[in-house]
Amino acid sequence: MRSLISELKTHWHQPAEGKYVPYKEYVDVVFAVGSNYAGSKVLEYITFLSSCYLIMYHYKLPYLTFSVISILNMPLGYISALMWWFVCDNLGFLPKKTERKLYAVYVGMMLFGISTILFDYSRLFDPSSPFITYLNGLEGMNATACFKTFGTHFLYTGWVGARNIFWRKKLLPKYGRYKYSLYCDVIPKCVMVILIGWLPVYNIPDVATRVWVANLLFATFNVFGFANNLETCTRSISPNLQERILVRSYPVKISHFFHTIVSIILPVIIGMLRYEWADINVYRYVIPITFIVLAIFTMFFAGRVKERIPQPPVEKKVQINFWDGMFGVLHNKYLLINKIVELIDSLGNGMLPFVTIIYFYTFRLSGLPYSLLVALISFAGTPPDLMSPYFLKRFSYKQIMIFYQVTRALGNALIAGAMWFCGDNINLCGTICVVVMFFMEMTKTVPTTAGHDMNVRIGDYQMYLSGERLENFSGVYGWFTGPVTSFVGLIIPVLLLRYGFNSNWDVLFIDDSRRNIIVIPLLVDVVGFLLMTIPYFFWDYDSKKQNMVMEVLKRRAEVTEKNALEAGETVSGSYKG
Amino acid sequence: MSKKTNNTEEPVILNIPDDEIWTYQVEGLAPPRINKPYRHFTLKKIIFALTIIVAVSVSCWFSVQTIQTDTFKYNSTENGYELTKFSNTGNITVLDIDFVSDIEYESDNPDVMSNFKIKKDTSKKVTSVGKYALNCDEKIKVITIGKDVTDIDPKAFYSCYALQRFDVDENNPNYCSVDGVLYTKDMKRIICHPCDHDAFLAEQFGFTQYDENGVPTEPDVNSKEYDRYVEQVLTFVVPSSVETIGELCFNYANIKNVYLPEGLKTVETLGFFKMTQLSSIYSYKGEAEVSRFESEEALGEVYVSLPDGLYFIGSDAFSYNQSLSYMYIPKSVTYIGHHAFWDTVYKQDNSLAGVTAINAEASAEAFEAVQTGNNWRPQYDYLLFKKSVDIIYNAKRGTE
Repeated sequence: MRSLISELKTHWHQPAEGKYVPYKEYVDVVFAVGSNYAGSKVLEYITFLSSCYLIMYHYKLPYLTFSVISILNMPLGYISALMWWFVCDNLGFLPKKTERKLYAVYVGMMLFGISTILFDYSRLFDPSSPFITYLNGLEGMNATACFKTFGTHFLYTGWVGARNIFWRKKLLPKYGRYKYSLYCDVIPKCVMVILIGWLPVYNIPDVATRVWVANLLFATFNVFGFANNLETCTRSISPNLQERILVRSYPVKISHFFHTIVSIILPVIIGMLRYEWADINVYRYVIPITFIVLAIFTMFFAGRVKERIPQPPVEKKVQINFWDGMFGVLHNKYLLINKIVELIDSLGNGMLPFVTIIYFYTFRLSGLPYSLLVALISFAGTPPDLMSPYFLKRFSYKQIMIFYQVTRALGNALIAGAMWFCGDNINLCGTICVVVMFFMEMTKTVPTTAGHDMNVRIGDYQMYLSGERLENFSGVYGWFTGPVTSFVGLIIPVLLLRYGFNSNWDVLFIDDSRRNIIVIPLLVDVVGFLLMTIPYFFWDYDSKKQNMVMEVLKRRAEVTEKNALEAGETVSGSYKG
Repeated sequence: MSKKTNNTEEPVILNIPDDEIWTYQVEGLAPPRINKPYRHFTLKKIIFALTIIVAVSVSCWFSVQTIQTDTFKYNSTENGYELTKFSNTGNITVLDIDFVSDIEYESDNPDVMSNFKIKKDTSKKVTSVGKYALNCDEKIKVITIGKDVTDIDPKAFYSCYALQRFDVDENNPNYCSVDGVLYTKDMKRIICHPCDHDAFLAEQFGFTQYDENGVPTEPDVNSKEYDRYVEQVLTFVVPSSVETIGELCFNYANIKNVYLPEGLKTVETLGFFKMTQLSSIYSYKGEAEVSRFESEEALGEVYVSLPDGLYFIGSDAFSYNQSLSYMYIPKSVTYIGHHAFWDTVYKQDNSLAGVTAINAEASAEAFEAVQTGNNWRPQYDYLLFKKSVDIIYNAKRGTE
């Protein structure tokens, strides 16, 4: 104990040799990540999906409409992704001419988007033409709504794209690649969180109009991000592998306690409202106040957490052209393994949140009992997570990930079995579900830590291969797999529709419908989890290789900076490790 | 690789000369490729682009096919055709279920509200309506059931919020409609009370008024005509022949008072689900052939709450009806499903409102024989947890 205190005192401001993070920063990580993570979790209550309570209880949009919108957005999504990847993986630093061209394209997109919202382009077509009648036949949509939804995506893409270049270039050298966006997005995000609860868009009587206006509102909301950026930042907090795992296992894990507290208090407050989760005051008061408080905390601590990726100064970084980006990620074997796993995981796409259904529709939980059960289950992962450094030393990532997929398959199969065979007996079925979920949570946290570290390693390896992390160009795999995943992801919604699930979640009160709606997608997921074990048999990227890669990256940063300084050039944003 | 050496921190020292920093290859990994030309670059680009284009196009086509919903979907059965799915184009307000139908558009009519007609194939009879054939439709106001439809699933017309009435061909052997409500032909089972039936009655009795946005409004509670509005539009008398309230029958119905016949035996799952206005349940001993309320005298002896003789109350039968304030369980009841009276009690100004107790005619011992599902009693927030309301055994039926 004494030596621990002495160690803490000695290295409170200055890290030990071979390490990079002073212990004071461990404390900062707790508060920074804690508030950022809890805030981002609060935002999960506001999503343009049928599982969002605002959509579920107030907008009441047809379930299949969300799939229709994603397909409408798909073509532009492919085109805009090209520009996005190019900008992001060059960290916003582009040749002047290229930058001007991109701005022109983005502004053009915004103008077109605005015009579709102001004018009804469907009037340009013959209303009885097959094209317009097809659009009118889409679930929850009509031709007007389709054009406006299409235009909204143009507006969104243009707006986000232009902001991306502007803010990235301005803020990234100072704040690093992972947390800069918090600084430019936090205030508008707070405003949008307030507006989304107070704008009475859900009162629009016509469903097609409600769909496109809601889509516009949520698109504007999504322009501004408040993701879990600081935790992402901590994944690259040190070039030392062991130190990364320590930060991940202790301060980051402790920081999640903030979210646990919020997830207990929030449902209790909501349970006191007259209509509980269906009460609009959840979105007018509870969510905005909680989010804004957490956002303030986040911004207070954000500057104290540092990212430490060995990299050359941004002025001297490797310029990634389009094809280098494309082929660069295709040469990354370990990224390919991960993407195959993601592809198989898409078998569960479109599935409803079965845990929420079990809580709300099987057990009818609300208030404190709901909070306690959620807290109990999420706590189950904490003790094993504190042991993560041991497990990650004792077992290979391959073993851990295969074990993880098998336990998911087994757990889901048990829950499906309980729902099917003893769904009528709420106490028995409920006990089985809770016990299984408890064990699933217990076996989840170590693989999650391993998964995060695998992703960081993949980024480091990519940097070794291509000179940049190419985290955005890696989206090219989505070009191969994305269309397939969205097609596969439509199978479950169509099945759910057959079992009665549409815009009215009350169908889940009907026992046999609820059983089918939960069990059938769960079984599809079981197959997916078993198949997901296969790619991991090819993972052979061990710590020795990773350490060598880090040495190469450090050496590159060191030599590049030295050469730049010798040439009398000003440099920024580098880290030599 | 030994599993025990997975994450060992062996120090690595690499002596990389300055001019090899971008080319140095780590043992066991692929060599770096930074700003280096690719072999067969053009060919690779072409293959890449073609692969992407084909993959994206094929998958987009599949995806679009999946979301395209035909207006009518049928399955062929032994006796004819089953309507399995109706997806409204957005402008269909009247639906005939008699023959296999399809939409035909008129190219010379630019008005989207009227530029189509429903074409029927009279050689293909529809004989059944499947589960969730209509689901969350917000436009259909009238459904006409043809003479050959002999089987309608209880969940066939789920959450049709704009549905005002059913019309059934009088030659249909299995079903009939009375005042727009769907029954079996023998009138022993009430199948579906349309969600917006009150709009139909309001129109019929001349109560329909519209606000400045064209939305129908109810008469003001303090107006002279309000009592008459409640009697003629918001009161429903279940005919005396009815023995079963079907599954989902009255869900979301805008009814304030309901009169149940003493011969009623069963209220099935979600029979009176989420009727937010339902404040009074009465039972009557007399004869009533129609569902319109004339006067209590016409119904014979009337008493409050559930009728004597009722023995089955399905799950969620009365749940989410917070306007109810009294519930009496007659001793004839032998089964109460789970959550039968869920969320019918709530807190208001620190006191309980709604169904604050369950009055049971039976004694505590006799009531033990009743088969009850989980959480069948209403529950309210109590010291941050939930508490079920009390059961008052040997209770006398209340008076209004």
